[in-house]
Formats: sequence, C-alpha cells, structure tokens
Amino acid sequence: MYKKITETPVEKVLFIGGGETDFGLQGESDAAIYQVLPILNGLGYTITVVDDNPYSLALESPAATGILKTLTVANIKKIIQDQQIDAVYPLFGGIRAIRLWDQVVAEWRLEDGQIPQSLGLAAADLHQINNGTQLFQRLDEAGLGVTASAVIQTQDEANELLRELELPLVVRAQKPIQGTTRQIVDRLDDFDRVVQQVMDQSLTNEVLIAKAINGLKEISVLVVRDRDGNCLQVGAAEDMDPIGIHTADSLSVAPVLTISDPVMQKMRAQAFLIANMIGLKGVMHVQFAYDEKTGKIYVIKVSPYLDQLANRMAVMTGYPVMLVAAQLAMGIRLTNVYLPNAFHQKTAIMEPVMDHIVVKLPVFPFGDLDASNITVNRQLNSVQKSVGSALGFGRTFVEAMEKAIRSAHFNNRSFSPKYMADVSDDELIQQLIHPQDNRVLLLIEALRRGYEVDELAELTNIDEFYFYQLKRLIEIERSVDQSNKDAQSLRMAKKSGFSDGLIARFWDTDFQEVRQLARSHDVIPTYKALEPSAGEFPEHERQFFATFEEENESEPVDNQSVLIIGPGAFRMGDGVSAGYMTSITLSELHRLDYQTIIMNNNAADSTLLPHLSDKQYLEPLETSDVMSVVDLEKPHAILVPGNRKKLIAALTDLNQNVIVFPKEKHHPARPEAGQSEFCLNFFYDGQTKHPLVILQQRPGESRLLKQKINSDFIDDLDLSSPGLYQVIWRADIDTWVDQVSLPNLTVDTWLRPMPYGHIAYLTKALGMPLGRMVVRAWVDKLNEADRKFLAKMAANHEGASLAMVTSDTDYALHLQPDKSLDMTRFEMGAKLVPFESEQADGEK
Amino acid sequence: MANKVVLDQDSMQRALTRITYEILERNKGGQNLILVGIKTRGEYLAHRIADRLEQLEQVQIPVMAIDVTNYRDDHLDAKDDLGLEPDEKLNIANQNIVLVDDVLFTGRTTRAALDALIQIGRPQAIALAVLVDRGHRELPIRADFVGKNIPTAQNEKIKVKVKEFDGEDSVEIVH
Amino acid sequence: MERHLILEDGTVFSGQGFGAPATTFGEIIFDTATSGYQETITNPIYDGQMIVFAMPVVGADGIHAEAYESTAPTVRGVIVHDLAEVSTNRQRRMNLDRFLQHHNIPGLYEVDTRKLIRHLRETGPQKATIVDVVDDHAVDQLVATVLTNKQVQNTATPKAYANPGHGFHIIVIDFGLKNGILRVLGDYDANVTVLPYTTTVDEVLTLDPDGIILSTGPGNPEDLPDSVLTLIRVLQTKVPLLGIGLGHELLALTNGAALQALPAEYHGMNHPIQEIISQQIFYARQGRGYVIDMDSLDNKKLFVTHRDLVDNSAQGIRLRDYPAFSVQFFPDGAPGPLEANGIFADFFETVADYVQKNN
Repeated sequence: MYKKITETPVEKVLFIGGGETDFGLQGESDAAIYQVLPILNGLGYTITVVDDNPYSLALESPAATGILKTLTVANIKKIIQDQQIDAVYPLFGGIRAIRLWDQVVAEWRLEDGQIPQSLGLAAADLHQINNGTQLFQRLDEAGLGVTASAVIQTQDEANELLRELELPLVVRAQKPIQGTTRQIVDRLDDFDRVVQQVMDQSLTNEVLIAKAINGLKEISVLVVRDRDGNCLQVGAAEDMDPIGIHTADSLSVAPVLTISDPVMQKMRAQAFLIANMIGLKGVMHVQFAYDEKTGKIYVIKVSPYLDQLANRMAVMTGYPVMLVAAQLAMGIRLTNVYLPNAFHQKTAIMEPVMDHIVVKLPVFPFGDLDASNITVNRQLNSVQKSVGSALGFGRTFVEAMEKAIRSAHFNNRSFSPKYMADVSDDELIQQLIHPQDNRVLLLIEALRRGYEVDELAELTNIDEFYFYQLKRLIEIERSVDQSNKDAQSLRMAKKSGFSDGLIARFWDTDFQEVRQLARSHDVIPTYKALEPSAGEFPEHERQFFATFEEENESEPVDNQSVLIIGPGAFRMGDGVSAGYMTSITLSELHRLDYQTIIMNNNAADSTLLPHLSDKQYLEPLETSDVMSVVDLEKPHAILVPGNRKKLIAALTDLNQNVIVFPKEKHHPARPEAGQSEFCLNFFYDGQTKHPLVILQQRPGESRLLKQKINSDFIDDLDLSSPGLYQVIWRADIDTWVDQVSLPNLTVDTWLRPMPYGHIAYLTKALGMPLGRMVVRAWVDKLNEADRKFLAKMAANHEGASLAMVTSDTDYALHLQPDKSLDMTRFEMGAKLVPFESEQADGEK
Repeated sequence: MANKVVLDQDSMQRALTRITYEILERNKGGQNLILVGIKTRGEYLAHRIADRLEQLEQVQIPVMAIDVTNYRDDHLDAKDDLGLEPDEKLNIANQNIVLVDDVLFTGRTTRAALDALIQIGRPQAIALAVLVDRGHRELPIRADFVGKNIPTAQNEKIKVKVKEFDGEDSVEIVH
Repeated sequence: MERHLILEDGTVFSGQGFGAPATTFGEIIFDTATSGYQETITNPIYDGQMIVFAMPVVGADGIHAEAYESTAPTVRGVIVHDLAEVSTNRQRRMNLDRFLQHHNIPGLYEVDTRKLIRHLRETGPQKATIVDVVDDHAVDQLVATVLTNKQVQNTATPKAYANPGHGFHIIVIDFGLKNGILRVLGDYDANVTVLPYTTTVDEVLTLDPDGIILSTGPGNPEDLPDSVLTLIRVLQTKVPLLGIGLGHELLALTNGAALQALPAEYHGMNHPIQEIISQQIFYARQGRGYVIDMDSLDNKKLFVTHRDLVDNSAQGIRLRDYPAFSVQFFPDGAPGPLEANGIFADFFETVADYVQKNN
C-alpha cells in the first residue's frame, strides 16, 4: 500500500548545552538555547536542557526543565530515560555537544530502550561530521574543491606524506579529545614536533594532514535548510586576513565587499549542495577559501551546528537565525516558521540584506597578561588566541572599523598610535609578515611610512581595497589634526566613527568641549535601524546603530526607560558572567514593566537577544557613544558597570540617575598555595542584612560550606546601597572543610560586592533567583516574598554539594605563556560539578 | 562496481514536474484522468504526479496501482493477478489513463499493464509516462511522456530510487 | 564636488559627484542586492533609470570583463552611499568611477541612501535629475522633461546576429537582452540566432528553430507595437517557447492577461519564489515594475507556475495547450543566485522532446 513519508511527531526534546566557556566557545550556545525555549514551548514541545555551565541562562528558563549535570554519556542516557525524551537536539551545543551525542549513540545498547531521534542531523550524518575526513571525501566525490589530505597514524607515514604534499601543511587531530585545533607547519624543523603533539590530542592517535592554502581569501557563508530541501542564505562575511590566521582572530567584514557576484553565487550553491547532501535541518556555517589567481574555490570547514557566526549573523542582519534553525530542526518547514510579533511576518523566508557594514574585531588577552608580567606568543596563526570579539556597525568600512576598534580595544596599550611610532622599520616588516594582535594599526603605520598599496597587498595577501580604506582613514586623521576645531572636519571625523575623546586628543582639549562643539554645529548622530530588508519594508525596528547622515530613525522610548550599558567583549577572567548578569538584569527589569534599552557590541552572549530588551543600540561603549544615546533617549535611569569610572562621573555631572552595577571586573587573584579564601555571602535589602552561605575558594575551585551563620556577625557593616555582598578572609587551610571559624570582622577581612560569577553559582547551587532579587533591590522593588525567602535562607543552611571548577583551558596550546597562569584570575569559563556523589547532584 | 548517478534528486523532481505539465497539456486539464502506477516505484511516481496536479489545479486525481510481476508474457508462471485491492478497482471506463512507470526498457512490462487494464474496463485512452527511457525496445511501444532519455548498453542496468521506498531520489547506471 | 538629486516630488538629496559630470534625467528606482553592481548597472532593463543601491559600499570589486550584461550601460545615474576606491592596474583596468565617466553617466555618493530608499518605497518610482545646482530652473527642467518610452528601441539589436554553437537551434527575440541569457545558452552549446523584436513569423520559422526565447528588456511592455503580440501568438503554438522578464510580461499580454504597475518596483534577489507544483522555494534575481493582474488571468489558457511569497505576485506562467512558459525573474543570475538555472534545463528538455517527436 502506498504511504506518504510520515515522521513520528516529536514531543519531548532534550537540548544538550555547550558546557563551559573556552577558546572557541563563548556564550553563543547558551544564548541560542535560551532564546528558542519560549517559542518551542509555545509550539507545544516539552523541552529539557542539560548543561554544567554556571552562567547558563537556559538552565534558569521557565520555558524548560533545566538539569544541571556534568555532560557525560551516562548522565545523558539517564536523563533520556528519566524524562522519557523522544528526541535529542545537540546542534545548538556546538561541536562538543555533537561529539557527546555521537558517543551516546555509539554506546546505546538494546537494554537502554528506544533511542531518541537525532534532530537537525540524522545520527549517521552527525557521525560523519564528527569524523571530518569522511565528509570531505564525499565533498570531493561531489566535485567540490577540497585540499589534498590523508590520515596517518605514525611518524613514518607522516614523513611519506610530507614528501608527497610538500610544505606548508595543515596538521590536525582526527577525533580530537578537546576542541579542534589546526596547526600550519611551514618549517621542516617543526614538523615532527607538531605531528607528535597533534597525535596526542587525538583519541585514536590519528592525524589528518592536508595541503595548506595559506594566503587565499577566506569567506564564511551561513545558510539554513529545511526538511524539504528549501535553502536560504542568511549572509556571508569575508576575513580581511588571508587563510593562515584563525578565523576567530581575523578582522571580518560583512557583507562581503571584495568578491564578485559569480564567485559568491558559486559558494552559495556549494553551501546549499552540502546542506542537501547531509540532510541538514537547521543552520550551517561553511568556510571557503578562494584563490583569486586561479578562480578555484575550496571548502575548508563545514559546521552544520551553532557556532559564533550564527549568533553574530543574527545580530548583524536582524534575521532570527536561532529561532528559525530550531524550528527547522523540529521538522517545521521554512515557510511555516513561527516568529513573534516583533518580526515582520515574511522575515523568516526573506534572505536578509545588509545596508550597513559590520566589522568584527577579535579581542586578545595579551594586554591583560602583559599587565601581570606574563609574556605569551603574540603571533597570529591557525591556533586561536583571541578570547572574545566586538562588532562595529557603520555605513562605511572606515566607520565600522573605527567603531570596532573602539569597541574591542579601548584601554589597550598596544592599540595606541604612540606605541606604533616606536616600532622600527625592521620590526614593521617582520610584523607585516607575521601578524600580531595590533595588525590593523600596523598596516596603518606602514601606509603612513609610505609603503605602496601594491607592495603591502603582496606582502600581506590582504585585498588592496582595505589599504585604500586605511589610507582614507589616515587622510581623515591628518585633516582633523591640521584643522582647528572646525565644523567640517569634526563632521568628517564623526562620520568616520571617531569618538569625541579621540578628536579631543588631536585638538588638545577634552571630550566635553568636542561634544559641545559638535552639538553647536548640529553634528548629531542619526541612528539607523538595523533590519533585514534594507529599507524595502517597514519593520518593527528595535535595533539601531549611530552614523552621521540626514535621517534619524530612532524614536525615543517613552517614560520609565532604563538604559543598560553592556559589558562589551569577553575578556579573560570575566568569563561569561558579565553577560549572564546583564541578561538577568534586562529580563528582570522587563518583568517589572520598565522599558529597557541595551547598548552593547558583543554578539557572543545573550545580552543582545531581541526578546530581552525593548531596544538595542549596537554601539561602542565609550563615553561619547553613551552620551549620545542618553541625549536622545533621556532615560529614567542608567545602569553602568562599576569599572566605568569616567563614564559614571560624566553622567553624574549631567545629573543623570546612575545606578552602578557593582561589577567586579576580574576575579580576584587566587589564594596562595596552602591557603583558602572564604567568602561569607549576604544580601542587604536596604534594611536588613541576610546571610546566605559561606563559600570556600581554593585555586581553580569553589565549594559551599554547611555552616549556619549568625546575622549578628555582619550587622555592624555600613552599606550605602542594597545588593549582594561578600565578607572575605583567608586562612591557612589546604583541605575542603564543612565549617570554618569566623574571623575578626574589623581586622582580617574585607568587603566587596559579590562577583557575577558567584551570583550565577549561588543562584544555581541554592536554587534562589539571587540575580533577579538584586535587580529588584536596585530599583527598590523587593517584595514581601523576597524578604520572607531571605529570612528563611538565613535560618537554613544545608549548602549544596556543587562545586564551581575553572575550565581546564589549554593555555600552552593557545598562548604558550612563559609562566603558568592563575586559573582563577585568568579564567576562561567554569563548570559546576557535584563533589560528593552523583546522587547529590543539583537537579532543579 | 561503480554506479553513475544520471539523475539526482533535483533533476528527478524537475523531470516529474515536466511530465506533469505535459500531461496537463495533452489532457487539457485534469478531467477524466486516472493515474495508474506500475508497482513498485511507478506507484510512488504516480502519487507524486497526482500531488503535483493537486498543487496546480486543486483537483484530486485518482491513483491506482497494478502489480504486473506475475503478468508478463516472459514469465512462465504468469497469472491473472494484478495485486489490486478490491476497493482499488476504479471504474476506468471512458477515462483517460496515464500509466506511470520508472523505466521503459523492452516494453514488456508496459504491455502486461496494458493487457491488465483492458481486462478491467474500457478506457477512453491510455498514455504512458516514464521517468527514464533507456531504449532497447522489443515491442512497438512508445512513451508519451519521458522524464529523461538515457541511452544505455544492453548489459547495463538502470536503478531508480525513490525517497518513499529507497530513502533517496536518484537514477543510477549500474555496470 | 557637491551635486544634487532632485525628485519630482520636490525632495532633494545631496552628495558628492563621481563618474561623469553630466546632468541627466531618469526614473529613479532602488536595488537591494548586495552583490553584482556592475551586472546591474550594465543590465539593459535599467535603460533610462537611475539606480539607488542599498548596498552601502559599492565599487570595491572594480569592473571586470566577464561581468558586463551589455557592452554599454544606458542607466541615467548611479546613487550610492560610499564609493570604494580601487586602483586601476593590470588586473583591473577599470574602476566604477572611470567606467561611469567613460559612458557619460553621473554618479552620486555620500548620499543618505537609506533615507532615499525609505522615501521611494512610499512614493514609488519617480522622475529625477542629477544636477550641480538646485534652483528653480533645475526643478522646471525636471517637471518639463518627458521620459522616453522607447527603451526597447534604445537597447535591443536592430539587426539579426548569430552566436553559433553545435546544439539545438534557439532563436532569441531581443527586447533588450542581457548577456547572462547568452552565457547560459552557450553552456548548453546552443546554436543561437538573435533576432530584432521587429522580426516576422516567417523570418523566424524559415530559420527552423528548435526553441524560442523571448528576452528580458526594459520599460513597459504595453509600449511595444501590437505586432510583437501577434508574433508571439503564432510562435507559441509552433515551437517550445521560454519568456524571461519582459518576455514573460509579453507572453502574459499575448494570452489576454493584464499587467499592473507596482506601487514600488522590486529590484533585488532576496524574495522567496515558490514553484507551485513542488512547493519548493528558491531565490533569484528580480527586476520588475509590473506584475500580472491575477483577476485578468484566463485560467483556461494559462496557469501560474511560480509565485513570489512576499507579495504573492505571479512569477511564472505556462500555457495550457502548448509547451510555452515564462518567468518574471532572471534564471541566469548575473547577478544573483543560480538556483533557478533549472528553468533552462527544463526548456532544453522540452526542446529535446519537441525535436524528437517532430523528426
């Protein structure tokens, strides 16, 4: 009998989270999962999320069951059985979740029962993605350009291949234990060492060696595909830097500017072909290399799962990539995707078009490490060194780039023009060939010293378009420098993305004067809406960036608006905690019926998710940018991170209602060896101080004590504003303890606001919405239930058997530091692990 | 054994689309039309054509299937069993029948199907639609609608795969 | 040098001049595609029009020999936000600035193009002029100017020519043909004859074509002489026929359908087009000022094969009784996605079928 193809309807879905933050994974997995939960819940799916990341918002979402468990095969199996899961969606958890799910599938036994469906990619295709060579063989057979490669298991085989393919070669681990790293070998001397190193990174001691294609252009294409093979291109971006530098460490530009239409269309067609080939239902990032001389296109990486580009494209284009991808994975057709009212009804099926330029700049940890006298290898290559990234939005490349530099690198010493002037000519050439983090400034410096565009283009393999743009920037700088505070050069400088502060430096004045001058000459930003139709349709516009043109599209939000200044790009030690706390703040203020406005430039966390705020400004966070938004919006209150002293002072001067995020910029240094640091945590509601729990910190790990605290101990502390605080002291204890004797408050301790990382940790460990409560306290909206809750907490101290452990980041691989790093201070991320027994695991 | 894909999913879809348009053209619309799929894959193809006609004309075209494996003149144990369910025996009298098969080769399958159909009733006309015509006819039979002409050698085999049955859409030459 | 764009409704936009310093008049439209500015500027369908690019930076890829859609562009102006300077050297002999100078076309950059596009999406296309000075004279000139409706005459070939190949004999009737169509026909090794649109049925049929293509072209199809419709009316019953763009509009008119001018034209490549029969969607370059009035469509003669899912307009039609079909969008890309390339494959299959049955 004839039957149409039917699929078993999916009801209970398990999302596997991305786990702890590290090189290559910031907050994007969690942001993606967090964003789609309410929609999927609304569509009738029952969702469970598993993760062990303390900064996970998804685990706290009311739209899903959050399970805080270590990401292991056994735990996933158990959750599937306990929750009667019928489908698993690993693709939003990135490559780590894919590996885990692939392993679960491999280890699934008959007695485990019916294996859940694998959403987004069938288990077999997912397995193939996990094993790169099989996939590339298929691509090769389908006639796509791939580089010659082979898998080897011994040094002898490697040497054989070396003779066959010749240097430079890309060497990478097959079935890697951790994240994938590709290393490019261009010196014979390094070959043996790298092969050995990579072999150790492989579960199976297998090494993939491929011909390197350094110097070619690198282009990223992001596409979605539905169950019926309908494909849509979300967008494409080009790296300014050629292949050879990790894409995360490159300056990247969207839309693509220097590649012709026929080449772009070929890449698009290839991306669609690959999506069809693997039967993808969801989003996929394909990286291509393009050889301008031969016209040949190579596929260099296929990522049919959520990675940073997906989130970034969503912010850059206004296309809701994650909402669409998740629904496609559920088997919904592209034409039937449901979007909330905030989107134009045709948004899901229209390819987004950008009428603005976005530049992404990586953020490197070198400056922070330098300040601690740690020297690392700064040379950029195929191994990622950046820890975060920031976006600059503009209507020209120069404007977007200047804004990206200001977003990514403010307060970074190596980004000062003065530092560049000190670089010798020899060093300059060296660094042009072996680029470092200050790449852009170096290129500018080379142009300043009279190097020709052709010459530089050949030396660096960077398209000459970029050099013409940088030359323009130099000319603008020069004319600003030579002019004397005139309106025309001021307008030109502002149009090119300069901050008031930078212009002030040229004119030996302060930013306030530049600001006044600009206003008196009517040089005022016009905010352009960022929306996916490039002006073709009126959209529900809520995302804006500043430029200096004729029409301003941003209407101020009415009364009761709160402006929240975002934390910007990730930096070491921050982890994802600042993004977590900012998002909680947005969510809670929204719940309290405030109109919220966020300013930020980091697409790798949840702070810019459209549903979290009423309006988003995609801007640098320097004083002049903030002041312009304040001038327009006249917010009821402004929430500013505590480390932004200059901004706080400037806003206070203007009689703005400033609420300071009591931000601890970095995790403090770890206690000395043999010592423990104790934090007595308490909540001050403005009247009463409620002790919560004592936390013991030893290098790289924190645990909670089971100790009742008498509130008398902290009664005498003098606090000016409500919030979460910690009393800190150290003791010579080198084991984990359940109880500790309290110190003399006046002598041995100090007081600080609770770091965000601890707020996230305690929220999950104690099952109390501490983040939300502290926001309520800031705006004086604590309710009776909160106070009761707090009173109860003080009386009841079980603690919880969850430890927060710093990520085991492979600094040796990424940064090659000259001494060991303080894993607390330079934390990349953390995870929560049970420390007594699996049964005591903190299930929500 | 190297298989060569001669029609991929996309071109197979397009071939079916074109056949559908041509059926409409020839038949002046969907009136009095019945699609008869020859089992196994012809049946799926007939349904796909019917789905397409429905998308275009908002009419439901009846589809029936016949199994002629036991009905061919080159089968020694040929029987008069069409494998039809009783409720599937549509009244084909005065209807325009389009017989749908995956591959047209010697013509013997088609002939068997024609014999069978004429036993059931007296249609107005019978036309033949095939996804692939590979040549080497042994009987005077010609397809009215051809998705793709694929000249083949006698010793080659054509393998048609349909998503509903084989998990994918493709036509391959098997050496 | 500062120059200005004046719209018929009196709105003025200012920017910096590039390209030729000429003063021109034309109908202003906007384009939302993010690639292929050279192909777009050289596409004859934009004869007599001024194009505003939504793409904020235009020119970064220079001008390439393989990206011409016609030898000489006949647009009246190019308006961009940011003009990318690129050198002219051995690899790139031309850049956009020099290219426009050479063809005496004025350009304007540093224009708030987003504001202009948001304005035009409300008003629809209108008359406009690019001038050095905004004064009463310039405005009067604009008001007094009557734009030509002879765009097809301006761009289509007056004489027949051949583009030989070894395959099927395809006759292209030229209404302002874009090169992309010839490029694809070359891929099929077709033996191509391009005929002027003033050709007659006899001239076409004596050449013994295996298939006919009604080409793309500029302007309003209703401005063309009735002889064109007569020609198509006969040809569509004789040989397989494919209409593209203007050719599609003409096939519709020939078979009794009426056209409607769009309130705001659509020029871009981001609208989903659905093939109705398979429900599949794809994207293709579109450039259209007219759509078929669906109420006028005689369902006994024609049916709709494709539609734009954003505005539900008919994007493809097919005759019921003959192998003649047409698409509004450009299946050859140039610029634009290649997903609709299959339209040509279908056409050639139809041609092959026709040839086989008639031999």
